[in-house]
Order: sequence, then structure tokens, then C-alpha cells
Amino acid sequence: MTEPLVRIAGVNKSFGSFQALHDIDLDVARGEVVVIVGASGSGKSTLCRCINRLETIDSGTITIDGKPLPEEGRALARLRADVGMVFQSFNLFGHKTALENVMLGPVKVRGVRAAEAREQARALLRRVGVDDKENNRPSELSGGQQQRVAIARALAMQPKVMLFDEPTSALDPEMIKEVLDVMVGLAGEGMTMVVVTHEMGFARQAGDRVVYMDAGRVVEIDTPDRFFTDARSDRARDFLSKILAH
Amino acid sequence: MSADRVLFDAPGPVGRRRIRIATAATVLVIAAVIALAVKQFGDNGQLAAERWTPFGQLSYLRFLWDGLKGTLLAAGVAALISFPAGAVFGLMRISVRRPVRWLAGVYVELFRAVPLLLLIYAFLLGLPRLGVNLPIFWKLVVPIVLVNTAVLAELVRAGIGAVDRGQFEAGEAVGLRRGQVLRLVVLPQALRLIVPTLVTQLTTLLKDTTLGYVVSYPELMKQGNNLTVYTHLLIQTYLIVAVVYVVINLLLSQLAHALDRRLARRRVVDAGGAAGGGGAPHVAHETEPAGDRIAPMGQLF
Ligand SMILES: Nc1ncnc2c1ncn2[C@@H]1O[C@H](COP(=O)(O)OP(=O)(O)OP(=O)(O)O)[C@@H](O)[C@H]1O
Ligand SMILES: [Mg+2]
Repeated sequence: MTEPLVRIAGVNKSFGSFQALHDIDLDVARGEVVVIVGASGSGKSTLCRCINRLETIDSGTITIDGKPLPEEGRALARLRADVGMVFQSFNLFGHKTALENVMLGPVKVRGVRAAEAREQARALLRRVGVDDKENNRPSELSGGQQQRVAIARALAMQPKVMLFDEPTSALDPEMIKEVLDVMVGLAGEGMTMVVVTHEMGFARQAGDRVVYMDAGRVVEIDTPDRFFTDARSDRARDFLSKILAH
Repeated sequence: MSADRVLFDAPGPVGRRRIRIATAATVLVIAAVIALAVKQFGDNGQLAAERWTPFGQLSYLRFLWDGLKGTLLAAGVAALISFPAGAVFGLMRISVRRPVRWLAGVYVELFRAVPLLLLIYAFLLGLPRLGVNLPIFWKLVVPIVLVNTAVLAELVRAGIGAVDRGQFEAGEAVGLRRGQVLRLVVLPQALRLIVPTLVTQLTTLLKDTTLGYVVSYPELMKQGNNLTVYTHLLIQTYLIVAVVYVVINLLLSQLAHALDRRLARRRVVDAGGAAGGGGAPHVAHETEPAGDRIAPMGQLF
């Protein structure tokens, strides 16, 4: 637990003249689960996407496992392979079956043989509970099933860290739990996770720290218990009263 | 199939009755128009047996058949070149390298705008003066290729643009290189989206070859034309030629449907075959070796 797995230091990010991230400092330790909360537009997704360079940053540094994020090409692709990402809108490959979705990365990026990748993919689908749908395409799966396949797809790369950007926000209530259960399981097994979510149950159960963002800044970092019961800043308390209201 | 169900609700009882009435009305109108045309033809003696029996002769048919072969050859060669070239130019238009993008952009904008006939004249009259005198076949095919490549490039680009951004991001997040994302994730979905338009373009290309008469290339239209010079059976000849074009286009749309169905089915078969442990849907070429990667989750599996 010496060096953090993800180190974000002095990161700034602008879209045109609008500054979306201000001087962000955040370390994520190995095995830690960091939950990011904040109002809409506060920069949670942007921060998350900067970690695997789906967004470029203007200044500051992001290092993963001691290595600075490469800017492009083969090195960047290799790094991204080590960082799993789960999107709010699932983004499963539309023309491939659930099984093929999970197999694609290992085969094409890692060079795993197809037969071996298929066995791995089956095991992962079983683990997230959608093995009965392995031959279905995304359009034939429910949202919750799609998101669990997406998690399996990310896990298939054996990532060092997993990023989740509001993984349950597009789901009906009855499907949220099946996805959160998988995530809680992952956290329990020691996966390092950065999770943007407003699911307080998950944050309390699995989160090690909560990061509260507002207007592109990290305003507060605390344990889930302290943050949800006893936030220090007025803005955080205001925010909490709003999300607790519904 | 279910294609129309995607866009529209399945019709209810009232809708079904309306559709039946509309269909019946349409059929009646079309039948009336045809009957009228036939009557006109008959009144003018165009249906007289002696105006049609010549087409039973082998020489007449052979003449038109040679034209059909010429059409299919020119269209086939033009398609075989311009479809891949169109894909390449379409990809170039979204390249990360500005000069590449720019080059493709200039090409596409230029050749999409220039009328095909003008290009053919350039190859027929202009270039020979500069010492470039292509064989007749290529005087027709090269202009067709130039124009169709530009149009197809635009189609491919539009298809790629229609694929959700999330697909690119998911591919990149998995660790695929940019080229792999395009080839493995985006292009297959883009092509699926533009298959109907591609077929339309193929029929356009086929009809482009009718400009063969300009360069005296013996395609179907030109051969028909030649035939009328001897026989003066204008209406009969051109009717037959038109029917042939219609039939080819019908065959092409059939082909497109078959292709579409096959694409849809192959995916299922792929995955199904995988269950037997046999066929591998993905061939592991162009991969990067696993190398020195660490497997921090090894203990989890
Ligand atoms: N591609 C972009 N171009 C311009 N502005 C952007 C872009 N992406 C995000 N922004 C802006 O940056 C700010 C932060 O966006 P971000 O998506 O990170 O917010 P968020 O905290 O994830 O919000 P939400 O809870 O609604 O998902 C917003 O004001 C947004 O309008
Ligand atoms: Mg967001």
C-alpha cells in the first residue's frame, strides 16, 4: 500500500472556454473503492473519462501504477487495456453476441487464443449471471443484463482498476440491484474501483471513500458514513438534502 | 420481415382493411394504365406480330445478349474497383491526419460534383490530346469508377457517423487500437446501416454504363440502339432493354435482402458453432502479445 494505483495531481480540463475540472488532486490506493458524487455537470464523468484518456487533460498529471498516461498510440491502447470502464449507456458492441463482446478484447488485444478466451468469457458471464444469454445480441438483453455483460467485458481484460460512470442510472429500479450486487462482489474481492454513482447504499456498503465534487472541484473527501451523516461543507449538505429527498 | 415493424406499429383491424382497400385501388389504377397503353400500342400497330417475331431470331437475341454481357462486365469491373476504393476514401475522410483527410475531402467533393458525362468526354476527347488514350472499355469504366468512388466514400463516412459514439469509446476503453476499433467494431455496424443505400448505388452504377453509347462501348443500351438502326423497331427494342434493366435491378435487391439475412444469421451461427468448441469467430491475427502484463485479478478466477 505504498504507492497509489491511480494518482491524479493538479489536473485541469477545459471544453473551449468552459473549465470542467479545476486543479483536481486524488489518489486511489490499491484495492480501494472510491465513490464520486456531485450535482449534474459538476465534472464527475469528465474526471472518470480522463483516467483512461477518453478525455485529454490540459495540465497536471495522471499516473496509473506508477506510469504516466501515454498520450497516444500503442502505449495508450495498452494502458487502456489495464483500465476497465463501464458506461452509463452500456455501449456493448451492437453487432456481437454477449459472449463475443467479452471475448473481443482478450483475443484482439491480449492475443489470447479463441478457445481459451471463450472459456474465460463463459466463466465471467456465469459470474455476472448472464451465461444463459451468451448467444444473444445486446438488443435482445435487458438493461441490467447488458450492464452485467459490460462488466464482464471489462473484467475479461483483467484490469488493474475499474471505472464506473453512473452504471445504474439508465436502469429500471428492479435491475439496479442485480448490477450493484455484482459490483459489491467485485469490491469485496479487492478490485480497485472508481465509481460515479448516487447509490448511497452501494457507497456505504462497498465504498472506502466518498469524493464530493462541485463545479469542477473536489470539495470534500471523507468516509461514506461521515460524509452521508455529517458532511462538512454547506454545499455538500445542500446536495445531500436534494438526493435524499427522492 | 420485421424491418417494417421497427418503424411502424403492426396494423390493427382498421389499418388492415384500409391497406387492403388501398392496395386494391392501386392495382386497379395500374391495370387501367397498362390496358390503356396496350390499347394505344395496338391501335398504332405496335403489337402486330411482325413487329415482335424478329426478336425470336437468334441473331437479334445474340446482339442484345452481347450488349448485356458488355453492361455486366463494365458495371462489374467498375463496382469491384469503386466499392473498396470508396471504403478507403471514406476512412481517409475521418483520418486523424489532417493532410489525409484533406486529400480525400478534395477528391470526394470534386468527383461528386462533376457530371459523369463531362468526365467521359474528358477521357474521350480531352486526354487523348494530351497523349493519354485509353481503350474504349476504360474510357467508360474509369469515369464511372471516379464518380462512384466519391459517392461511396460519402456513404461510408455517413454510415460511420451514424454509429453511436459510445461504440468507439467502448472499443478504445477495451484497449483496441484506433484501426482495430474501426475495423472490428464500427465498420461492420456502419456497413449494416448502409447496405440498402449501397445497393441503390450499385443500380445507379449499372445505369451509368448506359453512357457507353458516348464512347461506342457495346453495352446493352448501345446494342439496342444499333439494333433499331437496322430494324426501326424502336418501341419494341427499348421496351425489351428496359425490362432487362428492371429485371437486373430486381435481382440486385433480392441479392441485398439475401445478404442482409445472411449477415444477421451468420452471427448466430458463429456463436452457436462456438458452443461445439469448433469454429472460432475471431481469428487471433494482428494481436499484441500478452507480454509482461500483470494479472492482478488472477486470484479471482
Ligand atoms: N464534450 C464536451 N464539450 C463541452 N462541454 C462538455 C463536454 N463534456 C462535458 N462538458 C461540460 O463539462 C461539465 C461537466 O460535465 P460532466 O459530464 O463531467 O458532468 P457530470 O458531473 O458527469 O454530470 P452528470 O451527473 O449529469 O453526468 C458540464 O458542464 C458539461 O456541460
Ligand atoms: Mg456524468
